[in-house]
Amino acid sequence: MNRLLNGIGAIRYFTLVALAGLLAACAHTVSVDGEFPAPVGDPHPLTVGVYLSDDFRQFTYSENRDDRDEWNIDTGRAQKNLFETVLGSMFQETINLAQYPSDLPQGLDLVIVPEVRELQFTMPRETRVNIFEVWIKYDMHAYNQQGESVAEWVITAYGKTPTAFLKSQEAALAQAINVALRDAGATLYTGFERVPELQALIANKQRALSMKQTGSDK
Amino acid sequence: MYPVRGNLKEDVLVKFLSALFSISVLTLFSSGCTTVVIDEYRRSSGELAVGDSVVILGRRHSSDYETEPDLIDCVGKTLHNPSAGVNVIPERQFVDALYPWFEPRTAPMHIKSLDKLMDIPDVRDRMAEYGVKYIVWIDGSTETTSSAGSIGCSIGTAGAGCFGFGTWDKESDYEAAVWDFRDQELSGKISADAQGTSYMPAIVVPIPLIARVQNNACKGMAAQLQEFLLPPQSASR
Repeated sequence: MNRLLNGIGAIRYFTLVALAGLLAACAHTVSVDGEFPAPVGDPHPLTVGVYLSDDFRQFTYSENRDDRDEWNIDTGRAQKNLFETVLGSMFQETINLAQYPSDLPQGLDLVIVPEVRELQFTMPRETRVNIFEVWIKYDMHAYNQQGESVAEWVITAYGKTPTAFLKSQEAALAQAINVALRDAGATLYTGFERVPELQALIANKQRALSMKQTGSDK
Repeated sequence: MYPVRGNLKEDVLVKFLSALFSISVLTLFSSGCTTVVIDEYRRSSGELAVGDSVVILGRRHSSDYETEPDLIDCVGKTLHNPSAGVNVIPERQFVDALYPWFEPRTAPMHIKSLDKLMDIPDVRDRMAEYGVKYIVWIDGSTETTSSAGSIGCSIGTAGAGCFGFGTWDKESDYEAAVWDFRDQELSGKISADAQGTSYMPAIVVPIPLIARVQNNACKGMAAQLQEFLLPPQSASR
């Protein structure tokens, strides 16, 4: 009897291991590890605090639908690198904040807090085009020193890559995400001044600086 | 008895190895047929001087295709020849150095848009540092247009093998627009259309006869660009 029970136990164990192996075979893990160049251009005359939350720094998109394989896409490190690099070059002075909204350093014109709203992707077999495509949407929040909202705007980013020169689905998707993140950086850099509230803030700061300059010249 | 058996084995081995060698050589040296047609529209002659550079960039704004990075890399590497007076800046290096102004979303689509870009002093300085004289924008792609035939492979007690015949057509369609960056004008356009058919007969072992369509389009375009960019006296060197 004991032998029989042991036999059944062994069969159950091997079935579970085989099942786990089969499930793991359908799960894809992508870790995006991009390094991004600093933008070329004049910085805005602002002192800005940048707060990247833990959720943002460790952002992982997980998807497990019936009509698709399971995907776990970790973009946290890459988007942290991107936002730190781009925002770090965009302003006269940038301070990376470890916490928000408490213990803010004095003299900040603005605090910027990005947040991932959405990530979507399509595979070549879904679109019947030989291209991997990725869309990322960010909600951008700008606050003043007192924690009041100054502006809110949305950044949409798009990236694609052909399959021809890439080896695996994971590598192709990581490449498309890197292209999308570069696009996010480009939109953040070129679109910042187009947000009316921020445009007004920059104009006010420039006016104040020029008046100060005129005063000191006199 | 034994020595005869040994000789028989050696004979079979030698025959097998020589057949394998022949197939390998056949595969290496044979390829499908490709035709390449290059067209040129020239508005001004090339004026590359010592210290001038050329940038070759791929257009990536289209939604249903992407100019392949390996094609751009191939044209750049084939064209790069400092001793002949052509210095090409690699695409990735240039796009990174001028981030974010040459990304798919922000890249200038028309030569007139360069004015806005040159209003940024840092961009102007970076371009001068690289000595950019020409920006070449390549737009297009290589696609498989049709395929036919089938190959079946099987494994049995007697061994494994494939039998059948497959064929597919590829077509490349690229256009290069040459911008004279300093004079801010379109110098000309070069188009490369290539098509070819690849074959794959399989008698035990599949033997691919690949038509290198994209590679031939790249070489044709690079040769034409070299002729285009160099002043007439330098081109004859």
